[in-house]
Amino acid sequence: MTRFVLKRLVSAIVVMFFVSMITFIVLKAIPGNPAELVLGTEASPQQLALLEESMGLNEPLLVQYLNWIGGLFTGNWGQSYVFGEDVLTLIVQRLPVTFSITIFSMVISIAISLILGILSALHPHGIIDSISRTIVQIASSVPAFWSGMILLIVFASMLNLFPVSGYVSIDRGFLYFINSITLPSICMAIGECGILIRQFRSSMLSALNQDYMIASKVKGLPYWMRVVKYALRSALITPITVIGNQFAKLFGGTVIVENIFALPGIGRLLLTSVERRDIQLLQGIVIFICFMVVLVNFITEVVVMMVNPMIRLGLEGERE
Amino acid sequence: MENNRLVQANGVTVRAGDQALIYNVDFHIDTNEIVGIAGESGSGKSMLTKVILNILPKDCRQTDGEVVVLGQRMNGLTNQAKDKLITSGLGLVPQNTVVYLHPLIKIQSQMIDGYIHRKLGSKKEAIEKASGLLKEVGIDDPKRVLNSYPAQLSGGMRQRVNIAMALMSDPKLLIADEPTTALDCVVQQQVLDLFVQLNQTRHVAIIMISHNLDLLRAYCSRVYVMYAGRIVESGNADAVFNDPKHPYTKALLSLIPGLEVDKTKPLAELPGMVPEKDRDRTSCIFAPRCPKAADACGQTIQPVDDNDRYILCPFADSKPKEVA
Ligand SMILES: Nc1ncnc2c1ncn2[C@@H]1O[C@H](COP(=O)(O)OP(=O)(O)OP(=O)(O)O)[C@@H](O)[C@H]1O
Ligand SMILES: [Mg+2]
Repeated sequence: MTRFVLKRLVSAIVVMFFVSMITFIVLKAIPGNPAELVLGTEASPQQLALLEESMGLNEPLLVQYLNWIGGLFTGNWGQSYVFGEDVLTLIVQRLPVTFSITIFSMVISIAISLILGILSALHPHGIIDSISRTIVQIASSVPAFWSGMILLIVFASMLNLFPVSGYVSIDRGFLYFINSITLPSICMAIGECGILIRQFRSSMLSALNQDYMIASKVKGLPYWMRVVKYALRSALITPITVIGNQFAKLFGGTVIVENIFALPGIGRLLLTSVERRDIQLLQGIVIFICFMVVLVNFITEVVVMMVNPMIRLGLEGERE
Repeated sequence: MENNRLVQANGVTVRAGDQALIYNVDFHIDTNEIVGIAGESGSGKSMLTKVILNILPKDCRQTDGEVVVLGQRMNGLTNQAKDKLITSGLGLVPQNTVVYLHPLIKIQSQMIDGYIHRKLGSKKEAIEKASGLLKEVGIDDPKRVLNSYPAQLSGGMRQRVNIAMALMSDPKLLIADEPTTALDCVVQQQVLDLFVQLNQTRHVAIIMISHNLDLLRAYCSRVYVMYAGRIVESGNADAVFNDPKHPYTKALLSLIPGLEVDKTKPLAELPGMVPEKDRDRTSCIFAPRCPKAADACGQTIQPVDDNDRYILCPFADSKPKEVA
């Protein structure tokens, strides 16, 4: 078990290393001089040279890379010239917004998918199955910017149930907070439901077809207990991996939603940094998002391992 | 009906859609008996046990006949009532030992949950009973096994656990559907001996399904021979095996397969496959493959049925072979 965790940890570190290198190289390859961007075109060559020197732009690439990596570890992520602030501070400030809508949209999509997926599997081709099939089709074909607009028009403008834009932090009241992130979260959840419903349905169906369901019936367990104790237990394992991947995808995919709903999150920060060519900031955000993705995938794998005794006990696969 | 009759099936037909899978099957088993069911793959042996246990696949229905379990007619009972009746007296030992136990749940929980749910005793009693049963089926360290997941046990151990699990409700009848096919020869023998031992000590009756006629011959008092969803011959095991009357039984016996039998292959010297269609015809179902087929086989067949001997063939008579 520890060996398994260590192996995953090492591979996560390797991934992070390559990602950081690629990020660095790609951003270096972008035309334009960061010092020039900071000072504007009016700056004198002397000023420019001075700033280049202080930003370390004259050092060899490898040294620049190592400096950057070193900074990442010591909390010195560089300065954003647009905001005139420390990159890490900027990211941490925006983190709660992005986190909140990511988590909330996951809660929504998992809750809906779990219920619909499981119920459709219990009565394949029944009413609920047909309804959820329709939902799957709509959910997986509607782009987020479109569903976001519709949600805004219907629930914010017409019905006045939710604010059109903006974020209310949780210390200004939980309900206000939830109210402000509901529409964006639903918007993100819609796309995820398409995948998750199908995932839950198929894993539940395959669990229901296993022989242990016969065993539990012959033993005299009632229907609900067979479903909950025997079928659900297996049916929930496969989707854990998918849910982990969803989180990564959602977290990185908040750019669109945060812009539609004008939320001051990391996605918006990312867009600003791209628009304004704030290389330091951009670098920082990209590496941060990658780190989150790798971290979540790592956690997912460990969780899957913990719930699955076969892997936990080192009994990979089944005998015979 | 006799008091010691555990299960009786009268004219049972199971269909998937319009297609008959088993047709007009009569079957019964009494206390303390070991009864065998033989027949090629696809002949409906498992389907028969599934009607009895009320575990038919979703797309299959019992359309005719009736099953009587422990003196109670199942027709007309609610599913719940059926299950209650079945669990109280019948146990199942599966063919596939790999997924019959849930891979993610410890053996203990799987063995005792039914017992506890049915309020047969407290959790403590359940655990005691489970370890006692594990001992009885030949497991020396019940504690360790109860605390294991199925994947930590060998196939033979798992099958013993399955048997012990089936015994948790003190059933009067164990239904063993090819209980040893997944096991290697030595373990096969041990498990079979275990069945005999249980039959002798607990007086539990056993329905034993197998491709292996040698095995049925060695262990059963009566046998049923199934072909294409029909019982084509049944009777006392000695009588059927020593003096087969139905051409199908004769064919089966003439090529007793060894322990390693390839289920997917048709019988070597019997050309053709088990028919899937028109199993509910009244003419002889075996005629197309029968070496002795004649005109009478195309008519409605009147089975020979006396002295506990049943033969579904127009040319059979139940009289024992004359000893010259
Ligand atoms: N779920 C199902 N739906 C429709 N037909 C089925 C289903 N399960 C089995 N059958 C058919 O029912 C017939 C009897 O199958 P059954 O499993 O009872 O055979 P068997 O005698 O147990 O064979 P084996 O020795 O391979 O276990 C076969 O023709 C099979 O194709
Ligand atoms: Mg079978």
